[in-house]
Amino acid sequence: MSSPILFVIVGKNEPLFEAEIDTHTGTTGGNDLSTRQNYFVLHSALDLVEKSAWTTNSMYLRVVDKVNHQQVSTFLTAGNIKFMLLHGGKGEEVVRSFFNEVYGYYVKLSMNPFYKYDTPITSLAFENRVRAAARAYLC
Amino acid sequence: MSSKSQAAQAGQALWAKMPKANAELFALTYGSLVTELVRDYEDPIEVNAQLDRIGYSIGVRCVDEFLSKADVAGMGLTTQCQNLRDTAEVVAKMGFKMFLGIQAEVGAFSQDQRCFSIYLQDNPLSTFVELPEDDPSGGEDLRRLKYSNLYCGVIRGALEQVNLKVDCNIVRDTLKGDELNEIRVELKEVLADGAGDDYKEE
Repeated sequence: MSSPILFVIVGKNEPLFEAEIDTHTGTTGGNDLSTRQNYFVLHSALDLVEKSAWTTNSMYLRVVDKVNHQQVSTFLTAGNIKFMLLHGGKGEEVVRSFFNEVYGYYVKLSMNPFYKYDTPITSLAFENRVRAAARAYLC
Repeated sequence: MSSKSQAAQAGQALWAKMPKANAELFALTYGSLVTELVRDYEDPIEVNAQLDRIGYSIGVRCVDEFLSKADVAGMGLTTQCQNLRDTAEVVAKMGFKMFLGIQAEVGAFSQDQRCFSIYLQDNPLSTFVELPEDDPSGGEDLRRLKYSNLYCGVIRGALEQVNLKVDCNIVRDTLKGDELNEIRVELKEVLADGAGDDYKEE
């Protein structure tokens, strides 16, 4: 059974970026019900993210929540933007590498003078890079 | 041709003497300038005109600095530019090299030798920049924005101080998907020297 991986970037008030990656086909997929469930799980983990942010001084917060057989891992950027990954038990180092690469792309994106901090990310280039990184690290 | 490599070498030497600034700071400063202009004027055509005006002020000052530094170093300007081709070489190989550190090429001279193009492979002003996608709600169409229009103003201002009235346009832009940046320069007229009618001797 394929376990779709959900990657969401959350700003102060709203999600800024969402990508659902199907580990088997490497593209978007999944039926509506499981997608909505996944979003719910991710967003309910936000409070736990806040809590565990105070326990460590590194950006990578590891696994903050476990629901059924899925885990939520989080990475907190210097500007308090949360990268959240819902996955079915990937190794911590793999997820850390993925987050670091996406962080690099995010920093390049934020250097674009036309991108305003904490606004939804619409750049196609960014989305393609994130998907490529996900395929490389998480599939 | 010897004059071409002379200009290139002279440009290299001039660049070595200039004080340097951080490239990212430079690009980010220009980026904020452009986004502020976009916020103020909203219409991209108006923003292009403003960038051209800002470039014009810069060019007027740049040309003096260029001529004084190049003269003092005693390089490449022992002979004056004889025709527009020489001027183009000097602007691209020495001017762009000295102030920005980039290699610019000239080409596409027109039949009557009154137009030419300057090609820039990489543009230090547009590092990290990505033009935003079309706004479907019909907001300003930033595809019409000429992000590097400052260069056009600089060339226009600089050449006007040496009595060459030119028109500059950006015809190809890497931000819009082309492989390189191309600035088309057209000579409109050669101005007469002199301080004007008010100062004519009696």
